[in-house]
Amino acid sequence: MKRRFMAGLLTAAMLVSSLAGAAVTVHAEDGSTQGTNTFVDGGTELSFWTFQELHVPFWTSMADVWNEKYPDRPINLTVTNGESHSTHSKLLIACQSGEGAPDMADIEIGYYGSFVKDGYLIPINDAVEPYKDDVVMSRITMYGDTEGNYYGVDFHLGETVTYYNMDVMNEAGVDPAEIVTWDDYFAAGQKVLEATGKPMTAVETADLFLPQAMMLQKNAQYVDEEGNPNLVTDEHAEVIEYIRSKLADGTIEIAPGGGLHTEEWYGHLNAGDVASITMPLWYMGRFTDYCGDLAKKVAIYEMPVWNEGDVRAVLQGGTGTSVIKGTENEQLAKDFLAFAKLSAEGCTYEWVNLGFDPIRTELWDDPALTEDPDNKFLNYFMTKPFDILKKNGTELTAPDISGQYAATYQTLVSTTYSNAFEMSVDRDVYELLQEEQDSIIY
Amino acid sequence: MKKKGILKKVLYSQKVAPYVFIAPFIITFVVFFAYSIFSMVMMSFQKVAGPNTVFVGLDNYKVIHNSIFIKSLKNSIFYTIVSCALMIPIPLVMAVMLNSKSMKAKSFFRSLLFIPALTSVVVAGVVFRMMFGELEGSFMNQVIASFGQGPLIWLRTPGTVWMVLFFVCLWRWTGVNMMYYLSGLQQIPSDLYESASIDGASTWQAFWNITVPLLKPTIIYVLTISIFGGMAMFSESYMIFNGNKSPNNIGTTLVGFLYRMAFEQNNLGIGSAVGVIFLSIVLVVNFLQLFANGTFGRKEK
Amino acid sequence: MKKKSRTTSVFLIVFFVIVTAITLLPLALLAVSSLRPGSDLMRYGLNFNIDWATASLNEYRMLFSGANNYFIWYRNSLLITVVQVALALFLSACVGYGFAMYEFRGKNLSFACVLLVMMVPTEVILLPLYRLITRMHLINNMWGIILPYLVVPMLVFFFRQYLSGIPKDFLDAARVDGCTEYGIFFRIMIPLMKPSFAAMGIYQGMSSWNNFLWPMIVTNSITKITLPVGLQSLLSPYGNNYDILIAGSCFAIIPILILFAAFQRYFIEGMTAGGVKG
Repeated sequence: MKRRFMAGLLTAAMLVSSLAGAAVTVHAEDGSTQGTNTFVDGGTELSFWTFQELHVPFWTSMADVWNEKYPDRPINLTVTNGESHSTHSKLLIACQSGEGAPDMADIEIGYYGSFVKDGYLIPINDAVEPYKDDVVMSRITMYGDTEGNYYGVDFHLGETVTYYNMDVMNEAGVDPAEIVTWDDYFAAGQKVLEATGKPMTAVETADLFLPQAMMLQKNAQYVDEEGNPNLVTDEHAEVIEYIRSKLADGTIEIAPGGGLHTEEWYGHLNAGDVASITMPLWYMGRFTDYCGDLAKKVAIYEMPVWNEGDVRAVLQGGTGTSVIKGTENEQLAKDFLAFAKLSAEGCTYEWVNLGFDPIRTELWDDPALTEDPDNKFLNYFMTKPFDILKKNGTELTAPDISGQYAATYQTLVSTTYSNAFEMSVDRDVYELLQEEQDSIIY
Repeated sequence: MKKKGILKKVLYSQKVAPYVFIAPFIITFVVFFAYSIFSMVMMSFQKVAGPNTVFVGLDNYKVIHNSIFIKSLKNSIFYTIVSCALMIPIPLVMAVMLNSKSMKAKSFFRSLLFIPALTSVVVAGVVFRMMFGELEGSFMNQVIASFGQGPLIWLRTPGTVWMVLFFVCLWRWTGVNMMYYLSGLQQIPSDLYESASIDGASTWQAFWNITVPLLKPTIIYVLTISIFGGMAMFSESYMIFNGNKSPNNIGTTLVGFLYRMAFEQNNLGIGSAVGVIFLSIVLVVNFLQLFANGTFGRKEK
Repeated sequence: MKKKSRTTSVFLIVFFVIVTAITLLPLALLAVSSLRPGSDLMRYGLNFNIDWATASLNEYRMLFSGANNYFIWYRNSLLITVVQVALALFLSACVGYGFAMYEFRGKNLSFACVLLVMMVPTEVILLPLYRLITRMHLINNMWGIILPYLVVPMLVFFFRQYLSGIPKDFLDAARVDGCTEYGIFFRIMIPLMKPSFAAMGIYQGMSSWNNFLWPMIVTNSITKITLPVGLQSLLSPYGNNYDILIAGSCFAIIPILILFAAFQRYFIEGMTAGGVKG
């Protein structure tokens, strides 16, 4: 009897859930995780993979805008969103086997090199050509190889800035506007530490933003001209030693959770337990999403430099969008990509909805964007991000992601900085870097 | 008439029947596994790059000198040894205790202890990652705080990482292994224990002299699945660290290394070489072990 | 004597109560947390502190509102689990029977192959297997997930053990009665194997329901993925959807729990009858 009851319950559970499933299938068709634009008759079908849910509506709405502007070349776009690691793995597998790959995809910077190295992407130089004079080209050329081809346009490649928690700054009597060099910054950090007991900033062990920004300011890269791993450099050693000394005196902490995208970290940041953080401009979105308590308390300034008069501007982060080899609609995909990312329409969408700083320079002066009273980023932060963009100009240093960058990156974020800053802080830095470099397989 | 005769012959033939019965396995084996393993071995001698694939001989096998490879191999072996050391005696003792005559509500506890095995590794990973989070408020830090200990960074300190991994292993598999032992225990005649107790043997002596020897087949079976379960460990580490990346590779296993080479760094040749090495290790260990206890010899009896 | 056994009994029960409490603790944490807002977890960590003022069933309401794909994943997982369990049980029983009851050429070699497959973790042959499935046009298809694992070596191994306990004279008697080889299997053996089907049904149900890596590789679109893959997709470097994740994880355990509760008696029976005789 009891058994029959249980079996009945099971059947009921299955039935209920299958019905529930059937009901939401309809919803999911226009839902946000797998999205399509408004299909038009005779439109060319294009498939797109991303790993960021927020990108789905961007692509589908841009496809609608495209169809309005170019009714003779309509697109029916299907965007699929998946979890980051698995989406990249799957994309790589599909490219390797030459089957099942989409026409276009968003690719994270850490994986990008793999795709370029083995020639899975299509150069987009000709599609970018018409926009060349209006945009920050360094944000495109970064996705290139040594032969001058470039393969993608950025999503997440932002100018690196420093975000200050002004409550903490005021308590310690520090004015971020007066900070020019890293030494100034950490001198202020000492004041913050004495006044509040809080560290000035945090460094990641599972990612590389701070050391990479510092290295780029010294014009140093993780790979050499041939694209081979190049970790053992004086610049790299200096940066590590510098960060280590600040870890020792307490002005830098290891980011809780080991990275600036972990749940532990967001809680910590939102609680006001760290005074400032140096990250690209797109990190604004993390503040608005996860740090509600800090609204109107955070000011953005340019990041410090090594010596007065140095160039401040570096680019970091960098999901890029590319056209995948094997597509049957190469030209259309390329043109659509360039349009979505480089046109005024696309850039405006990106800024308003995603908080990515516009790649088109003319928008930096467009009051519709810079003075928009409804913009959540302008409302959240105490200073205007556009002022920094204008000050920094268009001569920007970007990471070199060619050759073996992907393999190098894997090592940096899994072992190098973990060892350098947490596990073996007393190890001689050159020895450590040599050992790290030797462990890279390529 | 003749056709029917053939059909009848086939239906009754004891020569044909076994092949029909095992055909589903043979087909899936040949189509999916034999092919896959063959192509893995081929790739391990190649630099795989789409149309530009070239034969590179044993180059890919140079990976055995790589420090991360060695580390992940050591991790896998360490994990296997410790998890066998934990997962064989602990569930055995618990099964014996649960099977004791003095025990009440046996099937109730048995079922509850089995529940972790029913949960997906994804769910388990989420819970354990957050339970052992480094926030002061995360559960385990609250627990040690009540003993006056400071918050620990559980998942970025080598010692505690292993503790967490073994805890997950114990949590998930104790109930399962206990189930195997319990079923083995049912087959030990109870009069053996009765006569032992008449002879004045202690519970402990009965355990060593009756239970353990008679459970030997079950113990060997559990050992077998523990060995290859331990060597193949990947998902647990993937979930605990929210991706195939552990700080300084504390929790990177051989399969994790393979996954990184093949799928994260697009280095299929090396990934395949690691796969071949992995396969050889597991095969040697397991076949040795199975031959030692005579799985193949048994059918001649 | 009586007194001693009572002390033992109390000790044993106390011991198992403690062990069970520890075992269920992570799941209890999960259940309690599913009543808390996701942002709370991020800030304060996963623990038993619950503020009843903010506690609510909101997470579940969100889960059931249909504004997400949760139940599509749920349905996919259920469907795949049911189909896979049915096919794997039947086919593996055939194979196990073949190995247990007959002597034939190539038996040792074929059985060695069973053990081989049992020992090869999916990860090792992921790539060639994926290529194959792509070429068969089974990507993003339930059959792509199921086909390579139609015959499960663990089950074959188990059924072989189980059946080798049955005397072969039994078969000869049936043959004398005019039964075909297949008649013997369907009419005599299958009924005899019932307890072992229950045991292996739970085992296979468990592994199908929780399977992660292979379904993740085979499926692409958000409407085709299974529950574990879907839950994992809620975790991303760009923000974790804890609200759905925690409540969804809780809810994911339920069907397999029901299945287990319904058949657990057979599970132990089947295991015992099959025995692992090594």
